Amino acid sequence: MARVRDRDVAAFEAVYDAYHRLVHGIALKMLADPMAAEDLTQAVFLKVWTAPDAFRDGNFGAWISRVTRNRALDTLRSRALRAEGEIPVDIPVEEALDDAVFALLDGERVRSALATLPEEQRYPIELGFFGGVTHEEIARRTATPLGTVKTRIRAGLRKLRTNLETAVAR
Amino acid sequence: MSVHPDMLDSVAMLALGVLPEDEARSVAEHLGDCAECSAEYADLRVAANAVGFSAELTEAEFGGAEGARLKARVMDAVRASGSPKVVPLPSREARGRARGPWLAYGAAAAALILAVVSSANYAVLRGKVDSDAAAVARANALAVQVANLVGPGAKHFAVSGGEVVTSGGHVYLAIRDLAAPAPGKVYQAWTQRTGSKAMAPSVTFSPDPSGVTIIELPQSAAGLTAVAVSVEPAGGSLAPTSTPTFVRPLS
Repeated sequence: MARVRDRDVAAFEAVYDAYHRLVHGIALKMLADPMAAEDLTQAVFLKVWTAPDAFRDGNFGAWISRVTRNRALDTLRSRALRAEGEIPVDIPVEEALDDAVFALLDGERVRSALATLPEEQRYPIELGFFGGVTHEEIARRTATPLGTVKTRIRAGLRKLRTNLETAVAR
Repeated sequence: MSVHPDMLDSVAMLALGVLPEDEARSVAEHLGDCAECSAEYADLRVAANAVGFSAELTEAEFGGAEGARLKARVMDAVRASGSPKVVPLPSREARGRARGPWLAYGAAAAALILAVVSSANYAVLRGKVDSDAAAVARANALAVQVANLVGPGAKHFAVSGGEVVTSGGHVYLAIRDLAAPAPGKVYQAWTQRTGSKAMAPSVTFSPDPSGVTIIELPQSAAGLTAVAVSVEPAGGSLAPTSTPTFVRPLS
């Protein structure tokens, strides 16, 4: 990214090659619209190019994954198909995304780790991340009390972290 | 044993990003005052961030012609967007004498040609051809933009105070007498593509001191169905936050 900050197009192209399938995959899954997903992918990478300082440190994959999700939430918001309050926000909290786990993550490892979660934990986590809905909407869609949804998501995230640590340690 | 398990559950919701705005801000503020919740957030945020990786497409799912086409589109946009290219037009007085926008474009083209010639002569005189070649190239690129605007293949779509112009796959906004945006605000262009209901963000810009700008958008004209402009906070927005200055279908 230091070379991207120096306006090195070749360096940017290497970043694109490494992360475009992650960005486009998230966009496609959240928007369910190939054309809109392409627009969003372009917008995310243009942001990387025009405002590289937005990424400060830590793991770039984790950062661009969140940037993509947040842009997709904005797109869902602009479609105005749902009330504003039904679409969550992702509040930036000072955090270090340089956890060693991320250095060895890829789609296959995460899919495998998610698959080991009980359905009652995995589904609300995936619906929350990719569905662009609030916890209350998750509770409504799964016909589950809100408190139970919260407890299951928390337990699922904790188990997912453990699974990922085990997977990358092998 | 935690003293506030309910808050820890909410911290997990914040980590996954599924809280409505008010609640998210409240929980985020709490993190600054509670070491236990802050540690829980750090732990669970790693797992939540990893969820996105599960959507990563494989080479088989997104490669070949489809992947190459998107990459070409992104790289084209990147190469075109070092920064918005603003071509200053002649003074307001000179524009007042012009009989239409294309006379103004012609005056701008003439000014650019003079700039190219001056730069080239200066380069020769100083014997620093290499360093000035970049300036000549930039001036040439601007001249190409103006040539595109007035070329026979250009299509003109009128908007209040100007035009949207497509030419040779490029898209331009050419607007006169655009009021300066309020402090902390900028103008932002938006594009809509065939099959998409949403407006995608494009470049931000401000008019020159005389209220005139010609801006090339980084997006390709191919497949564009509409162009819009709105006033947005400095830095731009991901979706329009104000009533657009105009929305112009390209048909």
